[in-house]
Amino acid sequence: MTSASQALEADLTDLLERRTKIPVAPDADLFELGVVSSLFAMELVVHLESTYDIAIVGPDLVMENFRSVQAMAALVRRIQDRVGAGTGV
Amino acid sequence: MRAPVSERPDAAAVALVDELVGDLAGTWDTSGVLPDPVLRKLGGAGLLCAQVPEVYGGPGYSSLRNGELTAHVGGRCSSLRSIQTSQGMAAWTVTRLGTERQRAAYLPRLVGGELAAVAFSEPGAGSDLSTMETRARIDGDELVLDGHKVWITGAAYADLVVVFAGYGDAGTAVMVPAGAPGVTIERVPEPLGCRAAGHANVRLDGVRVPLDSVLGGRPGQSLPLLVTIALAYGRISVAWGCAGILRACLAAATAHARGRRQFGRPLAEHQLVARHLAELFTAERVASRACADASASWDGNSPDLVTATMLAKYVSSTQAARGAATAVQVLASAGARDGHAVARAYRDAKLMEIIEGSNEMCELMLARHALSAA
Repeated sequence: MTSASQALEADLTDLLERRTKIPVAPDADLFELGVVSSLFAMELVVHLESTYDIAIVGPDLVMENFRSVQAMAALVRRIQDRVGAGTGV
Repeated sequence: MRAPVSERPDAAAVALVDELVGDLAGTWDTSGVLPDPVLRKLGGAGLLCAQVPEVYGGPGYSSLRNGELTAHVGGRCSSLRSIQTSQGMAAWTVTRLGTERQRAAYLPRLVGGELAAVAFSEPGAGSDLSTMETRARIDGDELVLDGHKVWITGAAYADLVVVFAGYGDAGTAVMVPAGAPGVTIERVPEPLGCRAAGHANVRLDGVRVPLDSVLGGRPGQSLPLLVTIALAYGRISVAWGCAGILRACLAAATAHARGRRQFGRPLAEHQLVARHLAELFTAERVASRACADASASWDGNSPDLVTATMLAKYVSSTQAARGAATAVQVLASAGARDGHAVARAYRDAKLMEIIEGSNEMCELMLARHALSAA
């Protein structure tokens, strides 16, 4: 894993642990833990957008993309790659 | 205290609203109808969804600037402001949930005079979305919708309805032409408030739309997340509209208290009336600050916008409901007939404590936030 990916996961883990008050493993299923309400999910969307200068719109808003720290980090990387390749939605 | 120049709606926009509304809001309230040309003119000027970016032909307002415009409309006519809320929510939903191709296809229409409504609530599904029964299914290259939506603001005037529906165990938002076969739109008779806002029930019986009407290009997103994103716009718009209600109530109450004399002096010099005025002034300032704070989060794309918007909606609607009751009290018989600004405010503001998340739902969500953020 690149250091950028590690930093991304660390940032998300930190945010989630501050808000949920429980330890959150990178692969933990946040929905099973019951810690991500739809309002918190929207907050996560905007957090990722403003921190990583991306737009999460349209088909990227499937809940699967917010199921775990790893899933969110992968989403950010996919969007960054897509924008880099000039194939944004 | 006024917004900085750059955050004020432009003078032409305000003048157009004033010219179109004139002194007709009371008549619209009692007749329960907004004239079609008024809606088309405001819509065609992009002022029903002024945050649509210029690249799509919209005015490209910031949230704060659009908020001030929304408050201005809300101070004159909450029915018209409700249409603005619906149209803006439709545009925001397309912006956020649609693909670039869909933004380019729909947004110019929404600032070009076409009208849109957004359909969430159902007979058995208000705050609890898990009970939503409207279903979408794919049949070939079409999406088929079946369901029953209720109390859809603006649906009686709409050309397009953004329908939220379940799809498998996920959800979808779909652009449905109001005239499509299988769509039936029936007005809600005699609503308590915002009487001319075109609230209607919408039946969808085997309605078929092409798959490219599905926002995002394919169904299967998280229904609660889709609805939460769409409603965020509705909430901040309602909040600003309520700030406008309070401005109108404050203006009516102070004018009356200055002019009317009882026991040999103006009403305003009676201390118990003065307290009403102080409370109204405070309510307007508090609501406006909460709205401006939330809009600043929108304009900075800060994650705080989620909670700040909920707070603004809660503060502004509760203050407006109380403030409007106070204004009626100050005006007494002078304001106690349907159609009068404060009588409308009294009924309209009460409805705002229910729509886009009731007081109680706002309180639950704010409490949940307090528990996690503290």
